[in-house]
Amino acid sequence: MQATDPDIQWVEPPKLGLGERMYLPLFLQGLTTTTKHLVSAKVTVSYPDQEPEIDNPLIYRGVHRLNRDEQGRVKCVACFLCATACPAHCIDILGVESPWEDREKYPESFTIDELRCIFCGMCEQACPVDAIELTSLYNLTGRSREEMIFDKEKLLSVYDATKDKEPMKSAQLPPVTTPSTATPSTATSTSPTEGGA
Amino acid sequence: MAIVLIDGQEIEIGDDERLNGIQVAARAGVEVPHYCWHPGLSVVASCRMCLVETGKRDADSGEISMLPKLVPGCQTPARDGTVFVTDSEKVRQARAMVEEDLLIRHPVDCPICDKAGECHLQDYHFEHGRPERRADIKPFHSRRRELGETVTLFVDRCVMCTRCVRFTREVSGDAELMVVHRGAHEEIDVFPGFPLENKLSGNVVDLCPVGALGDLDFLYSQRVWFMKQHASVCAGCSTGCSIQVEENQDRIHRLKPRENPHVNQWWMCDEGRYGWKYVHDNARCLAPQQKTEGAWQPLDWSDAPAVLHAALSGENCSPENSPPKNSNPKKRRLAAVLSPFLTVEEAYLLATYIRQYDENAVLALGRIPQAGADESFPNGFTIRAEKCPNRRGVEMLLSALTGDVLSWESFLEQAAETPFDAVWITGGYPPVNGNDGAGEDVASEEEKSLATELPAGLASSTLIVQDLFDSALWRQADIQLPSAAFVERSGSFVNAGNRLQSFEWAIRPPAGVMTEGQLYWRLLDRDGLYNARRVLEDVAREHIAFAAASGEIPATGRDLLLNQLV
Amino acid sequence: MLEPLIKIAVLLGGLMTAAAYFVLLERWIAAWVQDRLGPNRVGVPLTRIRLFGLGQPMADGGKFILKEEFMPAHVDKRLFLLAPISILAAALAVFAVIPFGSVLPASVYTLFGQDAATVASTEGPVPLVVAPGVDVGLLYVFALSSIAVYGVIVGGWASNNKYSFLGGLRSSAQLISYELPLGLAILSVVLASGSMNLDEIVHRQADSGVWFIFTQPLGFVVFVIAAFAEAARLPFDLPECEQELIGGYHTEYTGMKLLLFLVAEFLHMITAAFLIVLLFLGGWHIWGLAGPDEQVTWVGAVGRLIVLHLKVTGVIVFFMVVRWSWPRFRFDQLMALAWKVMLPLGMINLVAVAIFEELSLALQSQLGGWTLAISLLGSWLVCLGAWFGVAYATPMIGDNRVRKDIHTYEVDPQI
Repeated sequence: MQATDPDIQWVEPPKLGLGERMYLPLFLQGLTTTTKHLVSAKVTVSYPDQEPEIDNPLIYRGVHRLNRDEQGRVKCVACFLCATACPAHCIDILGVESPWEDREKYPESFTIDELRCIFCGMCEQACPVDAIELTSLYNLTGRSREEMIFDKEKLLSVYDATKDKEPMKSAQLPPVTTPSTATPSTATSTSPTEGGA
Repeated sequence: MAIVLIDGQEIEIGDDERLNGIQVAARAGVEVPHYCWHPGLSVVASCRMCLVETGKRDADSGEISMLPKLVPGCQTPARDGTVFVTDSEKVRQARAMVEEDLLIRHPVDCPICDKAGECHLQDYHFEHGRPERRADIKPFHSRRRELGETVTLFVDRCVMCTRCVRFTREVSGDAELMVVHRGAHEEIDVFPGFPLENKLSGNVVDLCPVGALGDLDFLYSQRVWFMKQHASVCAGCSTGCSIQVEENQDRIHRLKPRENPHVNQWWMCDEGRYGWKYVHDNARCLAPQQKTEGAWQPLDWSDAPAVLHAALSGENCSPENSPPKNSNPKKRRLAAVLSPFLTVEEAYLLATYIRQYDENAVLALGRIPQAGADESFPNGFTIRAEKCPNRRGVEMLLSALTGDVLSWESFLEQAAETPFDAVWITGGYPPVNGNDGAGEDVASEEEKSLATELPAGLASSTLIVQDLFDSALWRQADIQLPSAAFVERSGSFVNAGNRLQSFEWAIRPPAGVMTEGQLYWRLLDRDGLYNARRVLEDVAREHIAFAAASGEIPATGRDLLLNQLV
Repeated sequence: MLEPLIKIAVLLGGLMTAAAYFVLLERWIAAWVQDRLGPNRVGVPLTRIRLFGLGQPMADGGKFILKEEFMPAHVDKRLFLLAPISILAAALAVFAVIPFGSVLPASVYTLFGQDAATVASTEGPVPLVVAPGVDVGLLYVFALSSIAVYGVIVGGWASNNKYSFLGGLRSSAQLISYELPLGLAILSVVLASGSMNLDEIVHRQADSGVWFIFTQPLGFVVFVIAAFAEAARLPFDLPECEQELIGGYHTEYTGMKLLLFLVAEFLHMITAAFLIVLLFLGGWHIWGLAGPDEQVTWVGAVGRLIVLHLKVTGVIVFFMVVRWSWPRFRFDQLMALAWKVMLPLGMINLVAVAIFEELSLALQSQLGGWTLAISLLGSWLVCLGAWFGVAYATPMIGDNRVRKDIHTYEVDPQI
């Protein structure tokens, strides 16, 4: 783009007062800010020695998990909304007819490429059945690329590993697909949930 | 000239046109939502979604008198002075009411519904419905039952528009579908023991405005918003239905008919609808090869022009290439067999290329696959026995070039009498023993024999074979060139009714395959990439039979016999 | 003979160590300002003792030494080698005349087995400067620090890389421009103290008890800003601004040669800090520590040493904190600041100092002790007045828009 381009909108800088043109007040102001930070409490931690504290696991965006329903089956209905929402195109789903009476469709395979994922949490927002969630597991490592491609079993095992510490975010809501069987909503009612009702 | 008022806008319609409120509104650019009305079916006015206000303008005084009640637009004919109001508060309330009513007992299982994304219920509700739901019914699991081999019914998603029922009665004529029960318990069903099985059954899925009817072939294979649509032409038979290829990342997921009043109206047959599977068959030939001293050597596409030149001219034959079988390279007799699966443009380019080497090269029409007899339906839709898309086009081109059409059989006879030096045979045929989707074996005896035996008379020639699948011809060839399937080509087909339809490629060919058009284009040393449009312009300019094909070809194709004395 | 060698050894070792640990300090301050912890891992090797990361400089140095000595194929090999050597040599040579303390009592000679009394009677106390009694000390410092620009521009040129070359060009323009206000500020100090010997200048401040920052505030400001620019510290680090020039003139350098450049940069900063302290902040002087060198005791000598180095460290910390407080200047702003602001301010200061010095000589007899008060008041008034004047008169924001009225040519949009 040329500087003479008519599309350029030139913004006039704000006029400075004498105090600002004196430099010194602003200089001292900046120096004060820096000095304050110089002595203030630090936000980073010495990681391997000291684990970071996650204030609110509900909004933390770590490794994904696939939730299970009350019968232990994968909650996902293979609607592809997470794959649609995903800006990194890291979710790959193969949806087929489910083998269960009360469910129509389920993911035969559900794969997330954790290396491609940017952990934006859009999949979680898009999910209509609260099947995919981001846990607060942050120390995700692997020795090979293949290891970092999480399949359905691995994602479900993440749920099994984290379900006690982090209850399902939608635990207070009744499940979408089976209205007859009420969820024991009292069990996890202490955990705060994002307002879905 | 009749004048109709749509929301205060004056629309002129022809005197002999019989249009209803929805159609006239569409001309004014106003969309009247509707479920049950379809231009190809009878009017029942059962969904009440298209309710509009109507009235009459007095021709003399210009005074407008409105009817007090709302009327269905689909059932209200537009005459001179008819007034439609589609955006009044009354109409909007009526639409919201209908939407709410339809959704009271709808499962709202959009996440798993294949229709989601192209569903009229979704679209209309978004546009006309209430923002909140007053009924306290939670989303639930729809009941489902199979209607036949191809179609499944999600009972609770249905809005009882009865389009499918009317289709089986009026178009396919088999009347398998019906409405059972009454009032709120109405359901679509088939009579026990008489499933939905006709050759147009797939159309009910397209007709269904909601997700009630599901295509078992397409079910859950892809969400609709991932697919890209490409206008194309079906290569299943010589009807040449206008279709829409829906693909994602070069993989076809379904074919849908495209409206074309001159060819297929709104429909297509199941044979064509499910007949694309061979495109993604693993058995497809993918690598160009040449035979060198009896052994197959991979042939690089960049070397292909030189190798083909050597094979056709007999010159520049390096020892490893197949030596000329005729000792005198000056008088080589060449032949090309133009398959009815080639587009007009490709056939023209190949003929031009062959004639560079031998101006008297024999050009023959490829084998015409036949299966059964033509099959017509009550509304005129026909499934042809001729299972190739472009017989007419190649024939017209041959008669323009040679004055005569040499059939495959006569060509074989000729070859048996005096063998050719080199023969270029094009294919593109779907696999023999192929499944037509309905489970029938459509391969004829001749096709089966061709798969195993080489026709006599070709054995002594240098054979260049271009085909999709392995066959006796393919195995005997000296140069094998993989061919592209119809969705990978660009060009024009001329159907049985002499209608030329142009289309562009919908998916890219698999790795290793070069489309015929691109190969011929390159062999003829033309610049850039294959451009079917430019070739067709050449054909139309050079041959009177194709004169009508000059200029832009409309989406519905162009009749080649237009303005021609035949 | 032994004495200068010991001083050189102490100075070289001390400077190199100081430069290494100032790197650590710089990283700490950078981290702390950004609310991070900073380097805190490397301690004693092969143990788990971390010592707050105090081993980090050793690790860094070891890394630099062990790195491959890579020389790109496209460089001018001789100049490429010469540049880091010359810049480091110049940076180190400056310290020959800089007193890194006051004096040590003459009793130190007993350590060498000499009779303190006899030596002291001829040589006096031991001055803590490698080359004592250089009367053109300040001129020497000024001259050698200008040689740094050769290292920079030669390095940039020899690298045969556009970023390096741009860095070198910017650097030379910047150093040359800021030498003028720097020189003007130094000149007024020389005028006031009557000597170019750094030791003398400190003594002048120590004897009167009034540092030059009090009598020449405007000179101090000019000198500090110019020193920032001479040391190429933010907000004036245009020669190597990472966002535009990758690494500036040392983009192509690796390993030891890069280390020489980086050490030289830190040495420039240390030099600048020493000069600020010596010229304006009274050097080793603090009230109560004054007195002639001959009478200094061991306690006094060590005290002076500590005071001087505390001051220098304070100035360096100030350098580092400023780095994270201010964004970098644009190059035209940098130049405008040098020529339109700093140069006039330096001149005003020089004239003011000359007038006050002359007046105070003339008025000393009549007014006595009031002379100092009046000249202090006057100099502060001059400083404030000049500052206001500059703020009022100079547009600090440069308008870099295309002047359509004078630029009539059109650039091919295809380019």
